[in-house]
Parts: sequence; structure tokens; C-alpha cells
Amino acid sequence: MTQEHPHAELSAYIDGALVPAAEAAVRGHLDTCALCRAHVAELRATVALVHALPDPVPSRRLVPRLAAPPAWLAPLRTLMTLASGAAVFLFIASSLVTNINFLASSGAATTASEASRDAVAKQQAPAAAGAPTTTNAPAPAASPNAAFGAVSPTSSQAADARSAATDDPQKRADQATAGPSGAPGAVALNAQENARLANAEPQRSPLVNPLLWLTLAVISGAIAIALHRRLRSTV
Amino acid sequence: MSGAPESEIQLLIERARTGDTHAFEELARREERALYRHALRIVGTTSDAEDIVQDALFSAWRSIASFQGISFRAWLFRIATNRALDQLRSRKRRPELPLDPPDDDEVTWAEPVAPGPDLTQLAGDREALAAVEAALEGLPAEQRAALLLRDVEGFAYEEIAVITSVEIGTVKSRIHRGRLAVRNTLISRGWRGPEG
Repeated sequence: MTQEHPHAELSAYIDGALVPAAEAAVRGHLDTCALCRAHVAELRATVALVHALPDPVPSRRLVPRLAAPPAWLAPLRTLMTLASGAAVFLFIASSLVTNINFLASSGAATTASEASRDAVAKQQAPAAAGAPTTTNAPAPAASPNAAFGAVSPTSSQAADARSAATDDPQKRADQATAGPSGAPGAVALNAQENARLANAEPQRSPLVNPLLWLTLAVISGAIAIALHRRLRSTV
Repeated sequence: MSGAPESEIQLLIERARTGDTHAFEELARREERALYRHALRIVGTTSDAEDIVQDALFSAWRSIASFQGISFRAWLFRIATNRALDQLRSRKRRPELPLDPPDDDEVTWAEPVAPGPDLTQLAGDREALAAVEAALEGLPAEQRAALLLRDVEGFAYEEIAVITSVEIGTVKSRIHRGRLAVRNTLISRGWRGPEG
């Protein structure tokens, strides 16, 4: 044994895994062989390096969950799934309702403003029609000589009457909006818009807010998924 | 490795055998990290290693009635090592790493090419540890498994023979060849062995 290097035995030797006779033989050889002593030292250093390797850490829990889940877990998962579905439905429904309300009220605003413009025009029409009738009465009575001269006062009277007639609805519109006077049509439109906004705001209930239902759908959906995973990770 | 008194582990094993899930989870939790590092160094990918350990622990729970003869820890390592080696065998992409090397392969001792740092001084050296990792990756998987079971996990040769289902002579050969290959890799990178 001292003549041949016991290379294949050296690892078992440093592990103390040799039978006593073989171990004694290797020890005897090492006393006389510097090369084998060097190899033993190298193997020991190698073992120390392998042992010193850093420990990796798993990214998740690897121990299976064996305990039966609480009895309420499965019904709660079903409930949360249903709640998520219902919230999605309500989200769609509430966003539809909101959009229909919006479209309807903006449609009503345009028809209302058209109606008020018609009303202004109707008020203007009789006033303008009335002016000539009142001024027409003296005109035939006037002499043909004075006819030429009478034309300018009557036309100016008619113009005054017309402006007085248009002043009337404008004043009414001004009183309605209590704002600075402008073109009658524009004022009426502003008034309608203000009225619509003033009416729409208090009508909006939190239950019709689609964001509320969307949030609830996401939350209950996430809970349902988490519960489902928890249930699947058990046996 | 757990550091708990043997009697406490025995009690947990007895409770686990009677169906106590918490006792088994406690036992599994003690070996979770060690099983993971072992599986990871055999298969090389973290997700595969995690799946292997999880499956192995679940399998251990289902077959806990058949546990006998070896330590509980060795039993867990047996299940995990078998699964890790099966996983490698099922991979067709790494034909360059034969699982079972020919036994008549002559083992050689590479000689230092040039004076380098002393191997015994390198235990904390990152570069040396990286070289060891690389050397381990290049080993045949069954040599690597035997080497890790001995040098990292501290199992006795007899336990490794049971864990890997081979003769004790094969265990001895695999451990020695594995260490020699790692040692030769380090030597080839310019390290000089300690003066013996």
C-alpha cells in the first residue's frame, strides 16, 4: 500500500468512511508520501469550498398547505365571484344610464333653446306687425302732399315701435338670467344651459356612479381569485 | 441541520404519521431550504427546483405511512433527489451531460500549471465559489447529487447509498470523482493546492 498511491481512497479517508484496516493503511502511506498528503489537503480545501457555497432562497413557500381550509372559504369564494359578476353588470348598467341621461338632457337643452328662440321671434313678429297697423291708421288719412313728408315720421315711428317691441323680450330675458344683456337668442341659450346644469347636479346619485361599480367589481374579483388560489393550494 | 432536539422531531414524525397536518408542515418547513438548494444545484433552474421540492413534500405527505428505515431527513432527500434526477433524465436537451459516467473512466489528478493562490485560503472568495459552482454544473448529475449530499448536507455514505439507491462502493466512487473534478477545475484556473 505504501508503494502505490491510494488515490481512490483519499476522499473516503477524509470522510472517515473507510474500514479501520484500510484507514490505517492510508494513514501509513500518508506518513511517507508528500504527494498524497498534498492531495488530501486539496480535497479538504475543495470540500470546504463546496460547503461554503451561498444558500439560494426559494421565491415562494414550498411546503404544501395540508390543513383543510375553513368551511366558509369555498362559499365565500362563490359569493365573491357572483358579487364580481353583479358589479360588472351594474357597472355597465350605470354607465349606460349615465350616458343616456347625458344625451337626453343635452338633447332637451337644444330643443328648449330652439323653443325660446321661436318664442322670441313670435313676440317680435306681432310687435313688428302691430307697429305698421298703428302707424298705418293715420297714413291714409294724411294728404297726398304730406304723404312724402309723412313717410319718414311713420317709418321712424315704426322703427321705434319695432325696437320697443324687441326691447320687451330682451328685458324679460335679462330679468330671467339677471346677467349682462346680450343678443336675445344667446341669452336665452345661456339661461337654458344654466338651468340644465342646475337641475342635473343634484339628480346624480352615488349609486349611478359607474366608477363605484367598477371598483367593487375589481375588489371582489381579486378576493375571489385569492380565495380560489388558497383553495387550490390545499389538498 | 434543524438544530431541534431529536425527541421533538420524533414526536412530530409520530404525530404526522397519525394524520397531523401541522406536524408534517412543521417537519417539511425545517427542510424546505435545504431541499431547495439541493434540487436547484441538481436541475439548475429555480422554477423547476421549486416545483420539485413542492411535489416531493406533497408526495412525502401522501406516502408517510411507508416511511421507515432511514432518518426522516434522508427520506425527504431521497424523494427530492429522485424527482430532480428524473427531471434531468426527461430533458432531452442536455446529452452532453451523461447521468451515469463509465466507471472505468481513469481518474487523473491535474497538476498546477503555475503558482496561484492557496486553495485553503479561498473559502470566502467569491471567484473561487463561482468556479466551484461552474465545476459542479459540469459534473454528471449523479456525481453532483452524491457530492452535494455529502459535502453540503452532511449525509453519511450509507445514507447516500439509500437515498440514491446504489451500492456504497458507487457512492464512494461518485463522491471522489466529483471532488476530484472540482479540484481539477480550480487547479486549471491557476490555483495551487495547499502544501501538504
